[in-house]
Amino acid sequence: MRFCPFAQRTRLVLKAKGIRHEIININLKNKPEWFFKKNPFGLVPVLENSQGQLIYESAITCEYLDEEYPGKKLLPDDPYEKACQKMVFELFSKVPSLVTSFLRRQNEEDCYGLKEELWKELNKLEEVLTNKKTTFFGGNSLSMIDYLIWPWFEWLEVLELNDCVDHTPKLKLWMAAMREDPAVSALLTEPKVLRGFFNLYLQNSPEACDYGL
Amino acid sequence: MEDATRALGKGTLPPGPVPEGLIRVYSMRFCPYAHRTRLVLRAKGIRHEVININLRNKPEWYYTKHPFGQIPVLENSKCQLIYESVIACEYLDDAYPGRKLYPYDPYERARQKMLLELFYKVPHLTKECLVALRCGRKCADLKLALRQEFCNLEEILGYQNTIFFGGDCISMIDYLFWPWFERLDVYGIADCLNHTPALRLWTAAMKQDPTVCALLIDKNIFLGFLNLYFQNNPDAFDYGLTC
Repeated sequence: MRFCPFAQRTRLVLKAKGIRHEIININLKNKPEWFFKKNPFGLVPVLENSQGQLIYESAITCEYLDEEYPGKKLLPDDPYEKACQKMVFELFSKVPSLVTSFLRRQNEEDCYGLKEELWKELNKLEEVLTNKKTTFFGGNSLSMIDYLIWPWFEWLEVLELNDCVDHTPKLKLWMAAMREDPAVSALLTEPKVLRGFFNLYLQNSPEACDYGL
Repeated sequence: MEDATRALGKGTLPPGPVPEGLIRVYSMRFCPYAHRTRLVLRAKGIRHEVININLRNKPEWYYTKHPFGQIPVLENSKCQLIYESVIACEYLDDAYPGRKLYPYDPYERARQKMLLELFYKVPHLTKECLVALRCGRKCADLKLALRQEFCNLEEILGYQNTIFFGGDCISMIDYLFWPWFERLDVYGIADCLNHTPALRLWTAAMKQDPTVCALLIDKNIFLGFLNLYFQNNPDAFDYGLTC
């Protein structure tokens, strides 16, 4: 689905590795019955190859693509460095639901509480960059972990949460560096289109997923 | 057993660096998550030392190993720390030679990881059942929910028509699931397997595995631990040690 951040992870990896692929968008507000045969949980993203093999869960799809396809490896070969990327991924794990909660917030009190929680989580990521002394989360080049966490940072601007990174300068610099990446910039959604999608999605409109087409 | 040592608590001195040729795991003899890591260490024949941590009275120095003081944590001779049980297990499989526990094929590797997602409610449900029963509460709803999770796993074994979750041989995913199944009996909820014959066959096959066998915890010792643990006795973690 064009606006799903989890699916965006997979699309970023497909793009970054130059993997030929086709996309079938699923209307998440009106799922086709056949889609549950692709993923019993009915969630995107799902990969399907010419052997009929199905892979789901965004992080699992990304790792599968990196292992299966040649070219630039996004995950490090070194077992410890690979484990470090997975530990950072765990550190990030509360961010998606916080950002979604922010999107769904009902009032100003919710807003402040959620922002505080988000600051806390973003501080953890800032600490990683501070300790590593590198631009990206995996070192001085962009790698898998950066792509895995990026989609929610793209939403920050649209949700007017940019001030959440005011106290995390390295994270702010990382965001700017990410926007320079060819795969990231190729997949950027125009903020007003994303806003249009959010409005329709929050109203549970079945047209939401096609907004802007 | 390598882990038959007293749990370190507050006031203990931090251990020295890990000698070369060895890897250290910070653990607790009855913790299912740490059990995963100890199974992989054993299965791959990796030389290791175990330092048990008193989880009710954590040493101050332990927070330099894990920000929240959780176990398991691996520490190697380069002072590198790896935590989260699944990450630790994958690290060991990648870093050490010999028998690979994860398959080589990227799709089969992905399948094992997808299976792990299917398992995610089991640890919480088994723990909740244990706590409820120990506190004298009924847990019919929890057991029903657990049985449902077991049905999902049963379906996988049925569909695959294999003994183990990764095929006809034991592999990583089986070791990652095992610790909670080993505990069903001592937690008092072994009847949750009543309607899942393939899963029962799997547990029987697992008990034949030399690695699983070598690390099996004696039921009476486990019960002794649980009794002390639920009485909030800080000596619980050392129950059954003869030294």
